[in-house]
Amino acid sequence: MTHPFRTSTAILALSLGMFGFVPAAMAETIVDFTVAEYSSKTGPFFQEVADAFQAENPDIKINIEVVPWDTLLQRLTTDVAGGSAPDISIIGTRWLLDFASQGVAEPVDSYLTPEFKSTFIDTFMAPGVIDGKTMGLPVAASARAMLVNKDLYDKAGATPPKTWDEFYEASKKLAALPDTFAFGLQGKEIETDAYFYYSLWTHGGDILKADGTSGLDSPEALEAATLYKRMIDEGLTQPSPTNYTREDIFNLFKQGKVGTVFTFPMLIPQIKAEAPDLHYEVLPFPEGKAKATYGVTDTMMMFADSDAKAEAWKFIEFAYKDEWREKFDMGEGFLPVTRNVAALDHFTKDPDVAGFAAGLPYAKFAPIIANWEEIADVTVRTMQQIYLGEVSADEGLKAAAAEINKIRGL
Amino acid sequence: MANRIQKSVPMMMILPGLALAIAIIGYPIFDLGWTSMHDVSRFGKLTGFNGGENFAEVFVDPLFWESLWRTGIWTVAVVGGTLAISMPVAMILNDDFHGRGVARVIIMLPWAISLTMTAVVWRWALNGRAGLLNATLMNAGIIDQPIEWLATASTAFVVEILVGILVSIPFTTTILLGGLSSMPQDAYEAAVVDGASGWHQFRYITLPLMKPFINIAIVLNVIYVFNSLPIIWVMTEGGPANGTDILVTYLYKLAFRFGQLGKAAAISLVMFFVLLAFTMLYVALVSRNDRDDAAPEEEVKE
Repeated sequence: MTHPFRTSTAILALSLGMFGFVPAAMAETIVDFTVAEYSSKTGPFFQEVADAFQAENPDIKINIEVVPWDTLLQRLTTDVAGGSAPDISIIGTRWLLDFASQGVAEPVDSYLTPEFKSTFIDTFMAPGVIDGKTMGLPVAASARAMLVNKDLYDKAGATPPKTWDEFYEASKKLAALPDTFAFGLQGKEIETDAYFYYSLWTHGGDILKADGTSGLDSPEALEAATLYKRMIDEGLTQPSPTNYTREDIFNLFKQGKVGTVFTFPMLIPQIKAEAPDLHYEVLPFPEGKAKATYGVTDTMMMFADSDAKAEAWKFIEFAYKDEWREKFDMGEGFLPVTRNVAALDHFTKDPDVAGFAAGLPYAKFAPIIANWEEIADVTVRTMQQIYLGEVSADEGLKAAAAEINKIRGL
Repeated sequence: MANRIQKSVPMMMILPGLALAIAIIGYPIFDLGWTSMHDVSRFGKLTGFNGGENFAEVFVDPLFWESLWRTGIWTVAVVGGTLAISMPVAMILNDDFHGRGVARVIIMLPWAISLTMTAVVWRWALNGRAGLLNATLMNAGIIDQPIEWLATASTAFVVEILVGILVSIPFTTTILLGGLSSMPQDAYEAAVVDGASGWHQFRYITLPLMKPFINIAIVLNVIYVFNSLPIIWVMTEGGPANGTDILVTYLYKLAFRFGQLGKAAAISLVMFFVLLAFTMLYVALVSRNDRDDAAPEEEVKE
C-alpha cells in the first residue's frame, strides 16, 4: 500500500532539483488538504479559497487534492496506512468514530476559540463531538425531503400527500398517467439504505432501538418495507428498482417521468440548470406515526500526525469566513452550518431551501457507532432482496436485524 | 573441482535475479500472511496476533463461499468464452484478405481503452431507460419493453461475463495470432494434397501445433480474470444483494468499506493459493501430456 504516484513525484522533484530546475526553496509550510468532491464546483471553489489565503499568508502553501466521494474512504485509509495522510480532510461524519477511536483524528478543542465556535449552529456541531471531545467541524449539512412534480400531480388530479396513505393513493393516480412512474424508488448502491430509513423513521421506527439492538425487526420496519414492496408490485414505482441508483432516480425526475422522489437539497441547483421548466415543490416526507428527515453532515477533520496543525487551523478559520461559506453553501446547495449564513435572505426566504431546512428540528442522524458501513451494507442487501422478492419483508428484516446485532456484538 | 565451479557459475549468475524476484514477489506475500494472522485496525495498524481467527471468520462466512463459487463460474465462463471466440477470430485474421490490417486494428482497439472506462461505457449502455442497448433493440423491434439488464443478479452476471469476454479478446487473439503466424505452411500443403478437409486441418494440424499458445493464453487469462475487479465493480459493485460478488469485489468491500483488513488479507491469501494451485496443476498436466505426446518420438529415435 505505497503511493507510487507520490514516490514518483518525489523522485522527479529530486532529479529536477539536482539539475537545478526547481526555484530556490522558500521557507514555506505545506498544508495538504483532501477535498471531497461534491460537484464540479467543489475543486475550483476550494482552490479559490486557498489562493486567497496564500495571498495573505505567503509562507503557507495549501495543497488541495480533490477526491470523489466514492473513493474517498479508501483513499484516506491507504494514505493513513502508508503514513502519508493529509493534514486536513473533509470526511463523512459517519466515519469520524473510526478515525477518532484509532487516534487518527486530532481533537480540535484546544484550537477552537469560543468566538469561532459560536459561529456554528449547535445542531451540526453535536455529531462531531465524541466522548466530550470535538473531533471535527461541520463543513456541509443537508436534510432530506420529498420532491413532487407539480405538473404531473395536476394532470393526475392528485394532491401532494402529507401522510403515507395519501401518498399511496396519489401514487395510484399518478401511475395511471401514460409513460409516468409515480414514485422513484432507489435500489442500487450508495444510500439505498437511506431511502428505506425515510420510510422507517416516518413510520415510527428507528435504526437502533433504545437498547442498542437493531430496529429492523420492529413492526414499524416491517410496515415501512411492506409499503415499498407493495408499491413495486403494483407498478407504482419505476420497474426494477435494484437497477436504479440515486442519480438514475433523479435523472428520471429531471426528465419529468417520475411524480415523487426523496432527495437532498443538492438536486435543486441541478434541476435549475438542467430542467429549468420543471415545476416542482419541496415538501416534508409523508408521515406515518412520526415526522422525520435524515440529517447528514460532513466533517472537516484534522489528522493527529499532521506536522502543520497551527497552519492548517489558520486556513480552516479563513475558509469559514462568511463570504466563503455563503459561496460554498449556495454553490453546492447545502444547508448552512454557520449562524450568519443561515440568517441570509436566501436561506430563510427561498421556498426550496426553507422546505429542506424545515425538517431540521426533527432531523435524525445516522447513529455514531462502530462498523456503521457494514451495518448499512447489511441493510442495503436486505432491501434489495426484499425489492427483488428473494425474501419476504418479514424474513429479510428479521435476518438483517440478527446479523446487525451480531456485528454490534449484542 | 573446476567442473564444480563451472557448474555453479550459471547458478551464481541467476542468483541476483532470483533474489530480486523473491524479494519483490515474496515480501508482499509474507506481509499478507503476517497481516492475515493479526487483528488489524482499519488503517492497517496491526493490533495483536490472533492466529487463525481471520481465516476461521472467512470460512464460516456464507458470502465468502458464494463469492468463491461465483469466481469459479466467472473465470471458467470468461476464459472459455474468450478462447472460443478468439480462436476463429485469430484464424480469420491470419488469412490474407483485403482490409486485414483494418480488421486487426478493430479487434485490438478495445485493448487501448482502460477496463474501467469500458465498464463505465457499458454501464451507461445497459441503463434500463436511457441506455443505448435497449434503445437499439427496441428500434430494431426485437423487444418492445426495455430490459433492466443489471436489476437482477442472474442477468447482470451474464452481461458482466459477456463484457469480460469482450475485453479479453484482444489479448488472447494477439497470442493466438502469434502462434498461427509461426505455423509451418508445408504441413497444410501436404494435408491438402492428402485431401484433408478444413475441419481436419484445424483438428489435426492447427489445434495440436497451437497447444502451447492456447495453454499460455489459458494460464494468463485465468490469472487476469480471476483477479479482475473493474468490470463487476463499476457495473454493479457486486450487487444487487451480493448476487454478482466475486472474491475480489467482496475483498475490496471488506478492506475499503468495512475496514476489515485482517479478514481481507486472509481472503487475498486464499485467492493467491487458489491461483497458485491452479497454475501448478495446469502446468503439471500440460507437461505430462507433452511428455506422453513426445514419448513415441523418442522411442523412434532410439
